[in-house]
Amino acid sequence: MRAVSRSTFARLVHDRRGVFVVAGLIVALAAVGGLQSDRFRTAENVLNVLEQSTALAIVSLGQTITILTGGIDLSVGSLISLSSVLLSGVTDNDPNMIVWALIMVLLVGIFVGLINATCVILTGVHPLIVTLGTGTILQGIVLLYTLGPAGGMPAEFSDFAYGRFFGLPVGAILAVGLFVAVGTFLRHVRMGRYIFAVGDDPLAAKMMGLPRAKVLLIAYAFSGVAASLAAIFLVARFGVGQPYTGQNYTLSSITPVVVGGTILSGGRGGVLGSLLGVYLISLLNNVLNFMDLSTHYQMIAQGLIVVIAVSAYVERARS
Amino acid sequence: MSNQVASNRAPAAAVGVDIFRRYGIHLFLVILICASAILSPAFLSRQNISNVLLQVAPLGIVIVGQTFVILVRGLDLSVASVMATSAVTATGFGGGDGDMPVIVVLAIAVGLLTGLANGLLVTKRNVSPFLATLATMIVLQGLRFGYTQGAPSGNIPPFLRLLGSGQIHGIPYGVMALAAVAAIFTLILGSSTFGRGVYITGGGPQTARLVGIDADRTIILCYVISGLLAALAGLLLSGFVPVVDNWVGRGFEIDSIVACVMGGVALSGGRGTILAALVGGAILIVVFNVVLLLGMPIQLQLVVKGAVIVLAAAIYVKRDS
Repeated sequence: MRAVSRSTFARLVHDRRGVFVVAGLIVALAAVGGLQSDRFRTAENVLNVLEQSTALAIVSLGQTITILTGGIDLSVGSLISLSSVLLSGVTDNDPNMIVWALIMVLLVGIFVGLINATCVILTGVHPLIVTLGTGTILQGIVLLYTLGPAGGMPAEFSDFAYGRFFGLPVGAILAVGLFVAVGTFLRHVRMGRYIFAVGDDPLAAKMMGLPRAKVLLIAYAFSGVAASLAAIFLVARFGVGQPYTGQNYTLSSITPVVVGGTILSGGRGGVLGSLLGVYLISLLNNVLNFMDLSTHYQMIAQGLIVVIAVSAYVERARS
Repeated sequence: MSNQVASNRAPAAAVGVDIFRRYGIHLFLVILICASAILSPAFLSRQNISNVLLQVAPLGIVIVGQTFVILVRGLDLSVASVMATSAVTATGFGGGDGDMPVIVVLAIAVGLLTGLANGLLVTKRNVSPFLATLATMIVLQGLRFGYTQGAPSGNIPPFLRLLGSGQIHGIPYGVMALAAVAAIFTLILGSSTFGRGVYITGGGPQTARLVGIDADRTIILCYVISGLLAALAGLLLSGFVPVVDNWVGRGFEIDSIVACVMGGVALSGGRGTILAALVGGAILIVVFNVVLLLGMPIQLQLVVKGAVIVLAAAIYVKRDS
């Protein structure tokens, strides 16, 4: 009996080891940062880290879902850029337009996601290639629309980025809320379980008659709308949408997912690991900032973290 | 009688379809070139042709390496970073021809080590190629920025300048280099034990092991080839661009993968040829060139490129299934 419960515990730890590893690393990093600088230990700094990580957290949440289905979404960066220039271009400093622009941008995100999923379903091409293609097209459209910052947002709009609710950053609350909602969905809703099933073994999922097309449509539409939401936050932060706002998010949205233990071949992992992965990376950059190390070293550190993470979780052997 | 006719005809039709499948991409390039010549008279001008050829050369060399990696079910995202690093290395010395040996040795070392790291991560640690090469790409990028502290300074040796931009009788040296590389590696792929091992490993690593091929070693070698060729292409490109910065070769990783996919090198491994991948690369460059010659906005290149990626991939996958 004891042996059984122990092995169940061991399996639980093993399945969720990404979460444990990342949580441990966060604690270690925080200790290093705390020893390095007094300012690091302030509550204000912690809140800043949370605030700055909002956009990355939201994009990574969407990315987690597509990766869980065994795919990937490389169009998020261009989609963020498109959503930002559309949002500030359409609003154009007119407070009356904000609501319409927001609705439009979120719809664009869903629409792009549906197109991605449809291409994957109809052509059978790997999502890597499909979303690379659609991402390239989107970036072209962005640059056809504008080559510089487009329009502008009313000053009050920055509340979304810098506002505090009971002392906590609004964006960070929203991000955590989304993670909790999606985590619950994945665990307790049938469609959520299907996402794991389709990613874990597409053939078995097909034989069980699971609606793969529907799963993919939902996954990519969600990834798209998450990217648009991140764009809204970024526009609130910078006050204007720019044609290259999202460029770095395509690849950096994958890092926290992988670091958090979600397997690129799909079917295994979860959103908690990704959220911790986002915080780990934001904290790392924060600590390196306090140590006065330039962005070059932040880049090296990020690359090394990916290397360590990917070689720590050995992926399933391809059969 | 009618049966016999039918049975005689069927293979003929099948052969026709087979030829189209095999050479459709070559045919498409010819049609594209004819159409471009009609649409824009400037296309066939001497100046434009040597311009296009100069652009094909570095990309082509990267494509040859990428083909090896994709043949063993991989993907090399680190090629652009390797190119930039070797190009930055070329500027790191006095800028005289006397530094060439050091530059070449350093560039080869960068390519070799990156390829080796990629190969080891993919085979020994079972990391997905996408992630392994993404990680090495980022690390290399960081090291490069750390070394240059923002912007590289220094000059390119005249020899590289000549190699990257010079020509003889209208044929750029770079294209000759590409032809040599393509010929050598086509030979290796087609007629050596290693080449056969690449196809068998790509077709199924399990099978490869059963027939006594060291799949891991084959895969690692493919990544090393890709790294080496990317480093050489970086040197070539450093002699072509007006100024070497930290981003020389940006986009080559995507373009080389797209060229391979268009040329019918299957991402699932084991199928494709170097020549077809190079034809895919030529199509990309010609399409970009025509967009420019026709005076269309340069941003349209991205839209066209994206559409070509999805369409080409879709055509091949439908065909394969």
